[in-house]
Amino acid sequence: MFSFTKKQEIINISGIQIGGQPGYLPTVLIGGLFFKGEPDYNNAKKQIKNMYNLSQETGNPAIPDFFIKKEEFIDKIIDFIEKNIPKDKQFSVDIIEPDLKIKTLEALNAKKLLNRTIYNSIHIGITDEERKAIKKHTPAAAIIVAFNPKDKSPDGKIEVLTEGAGLADKGLIKIANETGIKKILIDTAAMAPGDYSGSSIAAIPVIKEEYGLPTGCAIHNVVEKSKWIDTLFQNTKKPVDAASNLNIPLFGGDFAVYGPIHNSDLVFPMIAWEDILISEYTDHYFGVKPVDYHPRRKFFEK
Amino acid sequence: MIGSYPAEINTEEIIKSYYTQKLISWDKYIKSAVNDMLRAGIQMVSDGQTRDSFVNIFYRRISGCRIRERPEVFEKIRYRGPITIDDQKYVKSFLPKNTKLLGLITGPYTLSKSCVDLFYHNEKELAFDFADVLRQEAENLQKDVDMISIDDPVFSVSMPDYAKDLIQIIIKNLKCPIRLHVCGDVSGIVSDILEIPVDVLSHEFKALPKLFDVFKEYSFRQNICLGSVRSDNPALETVGEIVNHIKKGINVFNDKISQVSPDCGLRFLPRDTAYKKLRNLVKAWSVVYG
Repeated sequence: MFSFTKKQEIINISGIQIGGQPGYLPTVLIGGLFFKGEPDYNNAKKQIKNMYNLSQETGNPAIPDFFIKKEEFIDKIIDFIEKNIPKDKQFSVDIIEPDLKIKTLEALNAKKLLNRTIYNSIHIGITDEERKAIKKHTPAAAIIVAFNPKDKSPDGKIEVLTEGAGLADKGLIKIANETGIKKILIDTAAMAPGDYSGSSIAAIPVIKEEYGLPTGCAIHNVVEKSKWIDTLFQNTKKPVDAASNLNIPLFGGDFAVYGPIHNSDLVFPMIAWEDILISEYTDHYFGVKPVDYHPRRKFFEK
Repeated sequence: MIGSYPAEINTEEIIKSYYTQKLISWDKYIKSAVNDMLRAGIQMVSDGQTRDSFVNIFYRRISGCRIRERPEVFEKIRYRGPITIDDQKYVKSFLPKNTKLLGLITGPYTLSKSCVDLFYHNEKELAFDFADVLRQEAENLQKDVDMISIDDPVFSVSMPDYAKDLIQIIIKNLKCPIRLHVCGDVSGIVSDILEIPVDVLSHEFKALPKLFDVFKEYSFRQNICLGSVRSDNPALETVGEIVNHIKKGINVFNDKISQVSPDCGLRFLPRDTAYKKLRNLVKAWSVVYG
């Protein structure tokens, strides 16, 4: 629990605030909707409603993250977003293939949804076509993944953000800026278990102190791929997965890409508890007063 | 080989591995570089230094260094474990028995001059601490390679009066043959370089043929690694042209030529060009030495 000397930027993505000094804003929780085959929209509606309710109860802002892995699902998922995500709410689109990213941006533009879109994500695999597409159809915000295969330490993550590590022609932040992205979130790139995975947590304060930008990660991925938990502690996997997210606010992070949305029931109260803990300290020690919708205000001080 | 070889890094493939939480491995890039060298007939290969530039490979793994817009030294530097050894072991695992392996150490003076010094504020002290780190790496490395090349190109720009001491720190406990590679125009420092007690001296004789005339003036005990194809120019030297160059070298150095090589690392050439240069180099060597 600490305070950064670097001024911390707070970005506003159509109503949600992300960033700032620890203890000021509640952690933003980004829950994933992963569809195997044809999306199950009824279940998705139920899960999203539950996430919004939990957000209302705890004060932690909620953002659904739509994973799109096939071209045939782009229009269907975007139709779903248009019809089911309230007009004052944001969402993110999480896509790996550059071609799908481009087509999704076009579809989001056609539905006039870009001003609520968080683009997940910009990284060393960005293509020239993708850059052009982002420039043409610029989303409200983008997550930059600070993944540097040459150096997985916090320093390596800063290197790829600053100058591209010889894998991109320039730093990823500059690339994002040049494509017209105004609001940037940094994902510290959780690595596979056994591949320096703790570095993504250690990198959170390092990156916030370096750039002052909102920072977080998807640390739950490390749990998801930890085979020893699968083998020996299968029943405990879900709480361990949810609890892994506690590391993010504890290290000064602003958002958690916390994995499957059906983990919301565990993740929201855990993170709210952690946010309260942090706020009690940072308020008393650094004088950082939490915003009025912070979990500490909700549950302790009106 | 001198050291580096071009690599075509597939960032899209790497990012897919990241998203599927697979361990990221550099082995395929190392293997593709070494396989090109083998295919060309090179008798002493390097690992190709495909991971990064020859200085960054070291800065990344030396405690006290970090890479920002430029490499920085931010605290006292220390050896924290193998820098290049794992890659050399990997190369050794698939290298044919009759092919030799070259270990690569970027020189302490080049490392000290290629970073922003935020801690020492004393060039000499920094260079000596780099030398001590590199000594530890070289001592560990010698078990897995047939020769170690210390590449200290900044000597050609400014050779400090403690250059010999720096190199001696690294080599004092080494049992394997040592080569010192200094590319660039060394014509003004040849007498200083000849003072350094290594087995082989490697220079850019192709780009800088005037070096022949300079070396002619000295008698010395080191062997020569004769730079014979340019690494800064993609134009392909013919076999005949390289043969003539080697013969010119023999006129100056007689039997002291123990290696022929590119002038420097080939990292900045297109891969196909780099391969063809190596292939012609090997053919020319065969013509001259049978």
